[in-house]
Amino acid sequence: MGFRSERLASSAMPGQFLMLRVDSNSKDPLLRRPFSIHEKSDDNRLTILYKVVGQGTSLFSTLKEDDSISVIGPLGNGFSLPHPEERAILVAGGMGIAPLFFLAQALSRAQKRHMKMLLGFPTSQEVVLADQLKDLGVNLSLATEDGSLGFRGLVTDLFDQSIDQESEAKPIIYACGPRPMIKKIVNKAMTFNLKCFVSMEGFMACGLGICLGCAIKAAQGKEKVYYYVCQDGPVFSAEMIDWEVM
Amino acid sequence: MAASPDLSVDIGGLRIKNPVIAASGTFGYGTKLITFYDPSLLGAIIVKGLSLRPIPGNPPPRTAETPCGLLNSIGLANIGIDAFIDEKLPSLDTIRTPIITNIYGRTIEEYGELAKRIEKVDGISAIEINISCPNVDKGGMVFGTDPDTAAMVTDQVARNTTKPVIVKLTPNVTDITVIARAVESAGAQALSVTNTFLGMSVDVATRRPKLANIVGGLSGPAIKPMALYLVYKVVAAVSIPVIGVGGIIDYHDALEFLLVGARAIQVGTANFINPRAAIEIVQGLNDFCVRENVSNIVQIIGSVVTE
Repeated sequence: MGFRSERLASSAMPGQFLMLRVDSNSKDPLLRRPFSIHEKSDDNRLTILYKVVGQGTSLFSTLKEDDSISVIGPLGNGFSLPHPEERAILVAGGMGIAPLFFLAQALSRAQKRHMKMLLGFPTSQEVVLADQLKDLGVNLSLATEDGSLGFRGLVTDLFDQSIDQESEAKPIIYACGPRPMIKKIVNKAMTFNLKCFVSMEGFMACGLGICLGCAIKAAQGKEKVYYYVCQDGPVFSAEMIDWEVM
Repeated sequence: MAASPDLSVDIGGLRIKNPVIAASGTFGYGTKLITFYDPSLLGAIIVKGLSLRPIPGNPPPRTAETPCGLLNSIGLANIGIDAFIDEKLPSLDTIRTPIITNIYGRTIEEYGELAKRIEKVDGISAIEINISCPNVDKGGMVFGTDPDTAAMVTDQVARNTTKPVIVKLTPNVTDITVIARAVESAGAQALSVTNTFLGMSVDVATRRPKLANIVGGLSGPAIKPMALYLVYKVVAAVSIPVIGVGGIIDYHDALEFLLVGARAIQVGTANFINPRAAIEIVQGLNDFCVRENVSNIVQIIGSVVTE
């Protein structure tokens, strides 16, 4: 789903998110829903990627062209971009592709760099955006759990293989997806001492740093006990987070 | 009708320019929503509940949505009274509306100590005592469900401050008027009715409660009829002002509370959904008074027709 807004599009950075609401008078669903910005086009259009899973997202599918929607954003910190000499590996599981697509788009536009992306989906029917990523010049590898397309297995297995084959030059890792997937990626990246950024989700009521709902446990020795996904993230350097409790 | 209506009200010795107050825990430390509007336009701001020492809060998940409601178990995460006074309060200098601190202690003595520290600070206009948080294992709601301890906490705060003392009550009791009268006798100058209702929600797929703390407090439109009823009951039971709070989303909701006798209202969960909710309610009340030829909002308060 996309919408035009010059104000939003002019400042939106990869990794940032929006709080959306279809009907401003709705009491059920009550809260806004957070979505990563998935794409920014030249005509001030921002796109989000969604899968109908509940009340909020099923309302999205009823929208028609020229309907309006209430948006707060862009929110959160966004990805730190790699230095030009660093190689990037982007790893996405399922809908985790959303913020990483925007990152791939930004990296390919700005730096024309070699970029590797690993994508995992349950089946070939659910694969999205593969062609668009290839158009961006991304070196793409796909995994499906049922083997209907690409590598048979999880994207984390693909990532393990990929890291094991790496030469001495250390890539920087960007990951987004379900928590168990992110946890495995982080584990591997830390074992190989790789810089790793993850885009996290958290239950949040406001997205503005006031409800304090989206707490995420900080690693031992950090100044804080909890970080908040909406204001300290949603992108975190992997070493900031306590993965034991994830 | 030429002049704009007088929206000002008096809550326990504190004069506020309109009856719309930002509820504790939904407005940060006062400046978070400044990009959306000037908080000076509100009647008052109640900042996030403060304790003597910082509290990190409960493990996540801390919030879950339920039909028309928000279930939370934040666990009073806060930076502590000293950090608030030293680091946050100076930046509230430019806000031209009363700042009220909500305080939470694990013991009765801690409430007294908090009142002492606040007493020395000019930038704080009143104290709201939290004896109603359902999400902490010591203090909080434990103090608010027993009339004797509720009165002891109130007394402890009142004897350590000259600022107006507001007590925020819990709905999770058999008869809220018993607690209301007990804290009134102990020196409360106003009451906030009500804090969240205990509730829970379970994910049937994982068979786990949706909150890590298992239970939490329910807020939002789902609780409005119950909160309204409690305000109606408490107003009849005490002679101090009652501030209505619970599920107020728009000025219509606010009017309902004023009509049953609330002297002012607090906007809470609505701030999360529409950051401009509170200021839109101020505007809505103003426009309502203009339309209905009400020159002073006090004329509305308690004017519900029941015969």
